[in-house]
Amino acid sequence: MAPMIDPALFDQLKAKIEEDATVRKELDQIVDELNQHVSFTQGILSRIHSTPRSKYPSLAPQITQGISSTKATISKLSAYASNYPYYKYNHKWTRTLQDAITALLLSSWLGFPSSPSPSSDAVVSEPGNLLTPEQVGSIFAVPINLKDRDSFHLTTEEYLLALVNVVDELSRLAMNSVTLGDTSIAVQIAGFIKDLHAGFQVLNLKNDILRKRVDSIKYAVKKAEDIVYDLSLRNLIPASAKAAEGESAAQ
Amino acid sequence: MSGFKRDFNGNAKKREDRPKPPPKQVAKNQYTPMFEALRDELDEHHDRRERIIKASRDITGLSKKIIFALQRVRKIEPNLPEKIQSEINTRLDDISKLLITIAPEIQGLNRYRYARSLMCLEELVEALTFAHYLKTQTLITPQQLVPIMQELAVRQAAAEDQVMTDVNDSTPAAPTPKPAPLTVDLTEDDYLFGVFDLTGEMMRFATTSTALTGTMTMATGSSSSSEKDEQPRTIVEDMHELGSLLEMLPPSGSRIQWEKKLDVTRQSVRKVERLGYDRTIRGSERPKGWIPDLADQQQPDDE
Repeated sequence: MAPMIDPALFDQLKAKIEEDATVRKELDQIVDELNQHVSFTQGILSRIHSTPRSKYPSLAPQITQGISSTKATISKLSAYASNYPYYKYNHKWTRTLQDAITALLLSSWLGFPSSPSPSSDAVVSEPGNLLTPEQVGSIFAVPINLKDRDSFHLTTEEYLLALVNVVDELSRLAMNSVTLGDTSIAVQIAGFIKDLHAGFQVLNLKNDILRKRVDSIKYAVKKAEDIVYDLSLRNLIPASAKAAEGESAAQ
Repeated sequence: MSGFKRDFNGNAKKREDRPKPPPKQVAKNQYTPMFEALRDELDEHHDRRERIIKASRDITGLSKKIIFALQRVRKIEPNLPEKIQSEINTRLDDISKLLITIAPEIQGLNRYRYARSLMCLEELVEALTFAHYLKTQTLITPQQLVPIMQELAVRQAAAEDQVMTDVNDSTPAAPTPKPAPLTVDLTEDDYLFGVFDLTGEMMRFATTSTALTGTMTMATGSSSSSEKDEQPRTIVEDMHELGSLLEMLPPSGSRIQWEKKLDVTRQSVRKVERLGYDRTIRGSERPKGWIPDLADQQQPDDE
């Protein structure tokens, strides 16, 4: 009579489970490393709240460095994770990757270069440039929104969730930059956030995490608009920004 | 499947052209095109997910019905009673139809993406393992499940082809190169958690069949006792073996879920143990059909 359990079965199952555990451990390590770089970048980026824009070039080198080491670790993660089903382990890094995208989007919008430029390393261009998912993918050198093969990539959700974080961070910056005496960027941020808010309204959201996060944008919009209101009430809006604001505020 | 809506005149509305929610009135700006592209991505994902969940729910239901049917089996033998087998076949036909509809959606990348919406596969594994146990008194291996899943992938595809050719048989049956049928792959966790649930079904089976047939050794026993020298194995031994297998494995997937399942398995093993004990110590005293009340330990002997 055949035995109840095929004698080879235990070893076979055990080997599979152990392989899975090894992969998880390895991924944990890479994600830890990624986390360090992302936290570093975010930490430096948080100084924008206390640094006047004229001093931004002093932050640029470290931000650029943070992003490039983030990128290096993402390549490592991508190379390793691509050996395994993407969505089996995606939950391990998705939060960290979102934070990495947030940092990249924010620094780019503020005009920090994402890679050290050969000419001069203190370039901080004009703010206002939102990277598209494709651009984020090409800077991090990973594919986006893959469909035809099972490999590492950035997902649409990750980009959108990161963008929500950017909005939140910028609404905070609008306030702090006014404190630092820079009113024009506050006005610019208000316009940008309103545009993004309109953009998010285009999405058909289900009752999931993205919906929950996107719902918070309206508070950022309100915060930014309150700041603009305070400024305009006191005639503090610079003439150049006024024209721009007048445009986007026209309902 | 579900109902359909009617328009003002009472004519059924087509569901196919389910309109996207009307475009919300939002100011267009430079970011709108990007968000529209992202919206389409998200819609595609949500729609697919919904289709999978619907099919999954139905497959779960059908698998449960198979399990109920199998619980009406009284002894382990190579061929299930005809009535039960034919009921199972109908259910499997239905499951096959459903699997064929979602199979293209859960290939490759998407297999794990929607793994959480595919709990039905665990249930299906449970039904298949249980059927396999009742026929052979062995635990099915993942390798043995592969051909079964492949068979499910083609089972109803053939029937559908038939319909298709009937509809447009005006066109000469050109030998259309048939794409290889897409199978739904089972993950290791589908298998493992299906096996965990199998212990519960074995416990239920052991309890009812022992009570109704009055023998513990319902395992093979009557049908294949050709090897007289060998004492047929009882379900108690099988449960012990299965229990230790699961105990010895390192936890896979969510640790909490694993522990929970393992705990249920332990209880099932205990219950069957107690059954075995009851049979051994006072089995002969009991009339056939007497159902032991396992909840009450202080059962007075029926005399």
